[in-house]
Amino acid sequence: MNKIPVIIDDKSFEVDPHKTILEVCRELDIEILTMCHLKGLTDIGACRLCLVEVEGINKLLSACTTKVAANMVIKTQTERIKKYQRITTELFFADRNHVCAVCVSNGKCELQNLGYKVELDRIRYPHLFPQCEVDTSHPWYVMDHNRCIMCTRCVRVCNEVEGAHNWDVMNRGHQVRIISDFNTPWGESSTCTSCGKCLHACPTGAIWPKAIVQGQLEKNPGMVNELVERRKMKL
Amino acid sequence: MTAHTTHHHVHTHELSKTDPRVKLLAAKIKKENHKPDALIEILHTAQNAFGYLPKEVLIYIAQELKLPPSRVFSTVTFYHFFSLKSKGEHTCLVCTGTACYVKGAQALLNKIESQFSLKPGQVTPDNKLGVAVARCIGACGLAPAVVIDNEVQGKVTADDLINSINGKIATI
Ligand code: SF4
Ligand code: SF4
Ligand code: FES
Ligand code: FES
Repeated sequence: MNKIPVIIDDKSFEVDPHKTILEVCRELDIEILTMCHLKGLTDIGACRLCLVEVEGINKLLSACTTKVAANMVIKTQTERIKKYQRITTELFFADRNHVCAVCVSNGKCELQNLGYKVELDRIRYPHLFPQCEVDTSHPWYVMDHNRCIMCTRCVRVCNEVEGAHNWDVMNRGHQVRIISDFNTPWGESSTCTSCGKCLHACPTGAIWPKAIVQGQLEKNPGMVNELVERRKMKL
Repeated sequence: MTAHTTHHHVHTHELSKTDPRVKLLAAKIKKENHKPDALIEILHTAQNAFGYLPKEVLIYIAQELKLPPSRVFSTVTFYHFFSLKSKGEHTCLVCTGTACYVKGAQALLNKIESQFSLKPGQVTPDNKLGVAVARCIGACGLAPAVVIDNEVQGKVTADDLINSINGKIATI
């Protein structure tokens, strides 16, 4: 395939067309923060964390859903981008009830790591402290909506990879929640196969296995893409 | 989004096959060839017939369209037009479709308003009775038709209606 020239952060590269800015940057070891992206799943450009500047375009573009084009001039580290990354991160924390000290994911959480990355020292937005349910009805797993950031990785892995489509999103605005079936208890799901993929896809401590001690949760989100790739090889 | 077969083992609270609203809904689903793409239109039909979207109806629609339950629920909660709850412990649904309108649905609504001070969409302060309107419940031959709780009543007069409602409220 013919490569195309692009400039990223003032350096020239020859890259594959048809790839997203995010894919290209990851291959070149250029860091882009992401949350709703998970390799192996369809990108939806929802979290707005992976924003980049492209010369000639006024608004910021999400790297995970924007394809590279010949002679694109991309910037990934500007002050404007950093400002938005920080706002987005603060809103993740302000929207729900995140208490890292008592969380199963403490120390191994993508949201917590993101907080360190953007050097979050305080949150300038009022915490919403929404009333959130903790669904413990599934025999093996727990869904704690307090820690959910609505990235929908669980929804997509369950639908696209497992083919079960247990999860989806209900409501709008501040009332959005992940739901199982008809907003019914996960343990009563008619669709869940108990495969555990959503648990690994989830970047926070929102979905976790019951047999786990605080701070001991090891997730393996990379398994999603491994599975997807292995299936492709079989075909 | 990729297409997938989904496994449904939903316990259905049986919808009554003789309920004209269920027949109307089944006909609509058939007309749309059970196409999942027609979900919103089918939900509209259901809401217009039932006044809201009871859980059994959602289960039925999900099964007929082979859609995951959570996808159906997601769609329902995305649009403000749809509602999941009927208002009031007892409900009186007055059909205001063409046939029923011609046969005096408005007089029924007027009577309800004078008797209970309720307009469509309202509920008594004690939440005992709610009044809603539907657009054709599939019982045009019985116009004017009403549904009190889950009981369809045809060719009702204003006085019959008030008596039925009072009867229901009295039974708690
Ligand atoms: S355990 Fe598997 S089937 Fe069940 S919700 Fe999670 S991803 Fe879907
Ligand atoms: S439960 Fe986890 S994976 Fe699912 S939307 Fe919430 S944070 Fe994302
Ligand atoms: S990672 Fe690109 S928008 Fe979320
Ligand atoms: S118009 Fe009332 S049942 Fe058809």
